[in-house]
Amino acid sequence: MAISVDPPDMSAKLRSKKGYTFTFLSDPNAEVIRRYQLLHPAGGPEGHDISRPAEFLLDRTGTVRWENFTEDIRVRPRANQLLAAAKALQ
Amino acid sequence: MAEASGRRRNGAIWLGLLLTVLGPLSGALEFIGFPAAPLTWISLVLPMIGFVLVVIGLWRAFGRPEIYRGKIAGSIIAVVSVLLLAGSIKLFSIARQLPPESAGAPQVGQRVPDFTLPDSDGHLVSLAQLISGSAGGAAPKAVLLVFYRGYW
Repeated sequence: MAISVDPPDMSAKLRSKKGYTFTFLSDPNAEVIRRYQLLHPAGGPEGHDISRPAEFLLDRTGTVRWENFTEDIRVRPRANQLLAAAKALQ
Repeated sequence: MAEASGRRRNGAIWLGLLLTVLGPLSGALEFIGFPAAPLTWISLVLPMIGFVLVVIGLWRAFGRPEIYRGKIAGSIIAVVSVLLLAGSIKLFSIARQLPPESAGAPQVGQRVPDFTLPDSDGHLVSLAQLISGSAGGAAPKAVLLVFYRGYW
């Protein structure tokens, strides 16, 4: 599941363009992003407040079992890192 | 005075141009799986070296025109390489824009707070729904929560 400040129609566009089938949630006022302490003030185009990149793997109780915060906004975890984390959870 | 054809090619200018062009292009290697962190530096250092070479070439062309060619080509390339270097520095500063510390973000072992937000169809969905699978289908074994910068 993915979260950003993008409005729903932007996420819908991204989903259909890339063929993503997982859920995209919109947090245009960054309320949840703020609550999770992930706000990147003025990090977006034209100085918008956006989310910093972050990934959390949650188990069925909603407990964080693995997480990743990048130091470089161009660097993201690779799919195999995520899969390894998911496998370790079982 | 030697004839124009008898003078040496000013290789430094052309090699410099090549490096300043390769700098921004090297960033594209990220899309074929090359790690982004070293690319950030490579795409800055290449144009810097290239620019130094262009300056050396230009100095040769104007300082020792009896030996080296490249006054006209060198001048044009110098302008192009300055623009490419400026662009590369701009891209580098964007790439190095550090995300803020997230000391207060949920840590491993902590339960994250629930929330409800609209999905891409505008329907309200809660994290609890996604975890329990009540949004449709069986309960998943885990949920991956990805916060991203946005699509623009």
